[in-house]
Amino acid sequence: MVAKKMLRRRTAVTVLAVAATVAILGAKLVDIQVVRADDLQRQSVKAKEVSSPLLGNRGDIVDADGTVMATTIYTYTAAASPSDAIAGGRDKMVEAAAKIGAITGQGGDAVVALLDGALKDNPKSKYVLIKSGMDVAAFDKLDKLPYPWLTFTKKQARSYPNGAIAGSLLGFLSEGGKAGLEESENGCLAGVDGEETYQRGADGVAIPGSTVVQKQAKDGGTLKLTLDGDLQWFSEQTLAQQVSATGSKFGFVTVAEAKTGKIKAIAQWPPLDPNNIAASDPSDWGLKPFTTPYEPGSTFKALTAAMLVDQGKASPTSQVLAPYSWQSGNGADLHDSGYHAPLRLTLTGVLMMSSNTGMSQLGRALPDQTRYDYLQKFGIGEPSGLPYPGQSDGLLNPVKDWDDQTKYATMFGQGVSATQLQMVDAYQALANGGTRIPLSIVEGCEHPDGSVTDIPSGKPTQVVSATAAGTTLGMMESIVTSGELKKQLQIPGYRIAAKTGTAQQPDGKGGYLPSYYVSVMGVAPVDDPQYVVSVNLGYPTTITSSAAAAPLFHTIMSQVLKTYRVKPSTSSPADYPPYY
Amino acid sequence: MSTNLAAAVAAPNRKRPAALWNGGALPAPAEEPKRTHLEVVPTRSQRRARPRALYAAISVGTLLAIVVAQLLLSIGISQGAYQLNSLQAQQTQLQRSYQAVSEDLNRVSSPQNLAANANALGMVSNSSPAYLRLSDGAVLGAPLPANGAAGTVTGTLGNLVPNALLAGVPLVTQTQQQAAAAAAAAAAAKAAQTGNSASAGAASAPTTAPTVPLQGALPTPVTH
Repeated sequence: MVAKKMLRRRTAVTVLAVAATVAILGAKLVDIQVVRADDLQRQSVKAKEVSSPLLGNRGDIVDADGTVMATTIYTYTAAASPSDAIAGGRDKMVEAAAKIGAITGQGGDAVVALLDGALKDNPKSKYVLIKSGMDVAAFDKLDKLPYPWLTFTKKQARSYPNGAIAGSLLGFLSEGGKAGLEESENGCLAGVDGEETYQRGADGVAIPGSTVVQKQAKDGGTLKLTLDGDLQWFSEQTLAQQVSATGSKFGFVTVAEAKTGKIKAIAQWPPLDPNNIAASDPSDWGLKPFTTPYEPGSTFKALTAAMLVDQGKASPTSQVLAPYSWQSGNGADLHDSGYHAPLRLTLTGVLMMSSNTGMSQLGRALPDQTRYDYLQKFGIGEPSGLPYPGQSDGLLNPVKDWDDQTKYATMFGQGVSATQLQMVDAYQALANGGTRIPLSIVEGCEHPDGSVTDIPSGKPTQVVSATAAGTTLGMMESIVTSGELKKQLQIPGYRIAAKTGTAQQPDGKGGYLPSYYVSVMGVAPVDDPQYVVSVNLGYPTTITSSAAAAPLFHTIMSQVLKTYRVKPSTSSPADYPPYY
Repeated sequence: MSTNLAAAVAAPNRKRPAALWNGGALPAPAEEPKRTHLEVVPTRSQRRARPRALYAAISVGTLLAIVVAQLLLSIGISQGAYQLNSLQAQQTQLQRSYQAVSEDLNRVSSPQNLAANANALGMVSNSSPAYLRLSDGAVLGAPLPANGAAGTVTGTLGNLVPNALLAGVPLVTQTQQQAAAAAAAAAAAKAAQTGNSASAGAASAPTTAPTVPLQGALPTPVTH
């Protein structure tokens, strides 16, 4: 009986013990496999998984021929772990530093100093920057050195292979910020970085099939400009020569296609080399033909003449007696730039001699509001619509704010301000049969998938009739055929229409500065206008009149005609009489 | 009777060739002892079930083959991973050298460099374009000879459009030593005034006669 009872008890205990063990193991199993499964799984993956970014490249900026003006490169940064470098002994570190310094160009001593400095601050230092912004060649050499304590990181950077050519237009992209088209067209250019993860084994090799692209990288688009890189260089080079020859403070050159409004070159002095922005003054970083308005001066007279002809209020032979100085009778007191005896001029002669008094008397025939409306249609005081940051619209005050002096001054380009771009746009209208097409600088943004966006939608405006535009060009031709600067302006074989300007600039205190903003703007060839060229020099000192800008206009215009194989004129000049 | 029969049997036996009897009558006595080994004739299903061993061998073999194949496959894949790794490293290397050479190409094809080289070779430009119309042989424009002094590509002041990337890039007319000297001068100038005189320094570096002397006319292929 007793033995039987004992047996039963033992069995019960064993069964209970087994059941308890099973329960515990089961609970643990459920805990690991179900409750904490996700967490553990994650930990395991984390231990093996590496995430690496997929870099989305920033797009290139190319000129009309596809020449790269801005591109993305990779630069390399070398860093060292000083505590590991010193671990093998100081002699070895100095020897290594000499080799590194020879490649980076810093010299061995500088590298030793960096390492020592870091060790002094913290003997266990694991990081000191040796050199950033290295190119591939230097990186390759460093990478071959047998120092495991030397590490590298790769970074995207911008390179401008053509240096300062169109530098101010392109702008730059640095850690400090963005400027120019790099800023305004960022939406087109910027790429989007992606990410991929993979698991790697103990030897660092990816475990096959474990690579997962978490997010695809997206490259930026290619921004195609209307510019011609070679012509742009030529403009900048010759502009720089002329600026230095005339002792000017600054200078601009713009070349635009007459029939499309495409800007082929836009040069500025002082230049900006986006590879080395520190070399130029921050006030010169922006492209002033876009951002800074000037009182245009006499180049404006061509617009007034075109309005008069368009309204039938004057013809190329309309006569006016132009004295040196003239009072309107209601408060305005005007005079010409240099003293002269009263001249018997036609409207053509007024343009040729650039007579303010003559233009004022003839211009009176148009109501102020009509002139204001015309100016607006010419684009004066209107936004250009070009994708460049910080553009100025110039200043064209409403008619009610015009005092008597301003009423007349606006006829010859004072009391109103415009950027060089706006003036080129207005002349483009004269060159294009009176139809103004908004200027364009960007041809489009081509995305990696082949789609093209950002195509400028230039809405043409008929400003004056084709006849009025043609007649105005004919009148402007007299400046080249028989004006004061004919020798500098003529290009054999071509009919050229040009207008000079010598504009005083406000000193900001209600008066005018003693030096001038001189310009020559012109169109060629007159019988089939193809190109508009505008040349401005700011405050020249050796020659203070538009004679300073004329040789540059000639150089640039002949280069333009040569570059684009423009056929020489076959017709003879309009030859309107300047005097009566 | 029995002798008769025996004779009757024997007589034809003598007359006919023994070969005739070999097939029919002679095996008969041999069959008598075999009758003791009786076997059950297998049914159709039994007969079908018989090559079980073969099937087993096939399936085990297949299994083995699968295991081996899988082993080889995974060896292959992991081998591939290493190969992929090394190829990717090679690709990175090639991309780097591509980047390096295209940077170089972009840099040397910049107008500043081309103009400085054209200048160094003594090339001048003509600012008075003229055209020959083929239809009637008319000359359009006014042909004037290029003016050596006024027509140099970059003028007397050298390159005025800075390009920081061109520092130390030699002109085609410069020898190695001169290039090194120019680069050193450029670096010194840069250090001295932190201005952007590097490219100007390179442009105004001493030049020698072109390495290929001009023989009076452009070289043209001779064809017959």
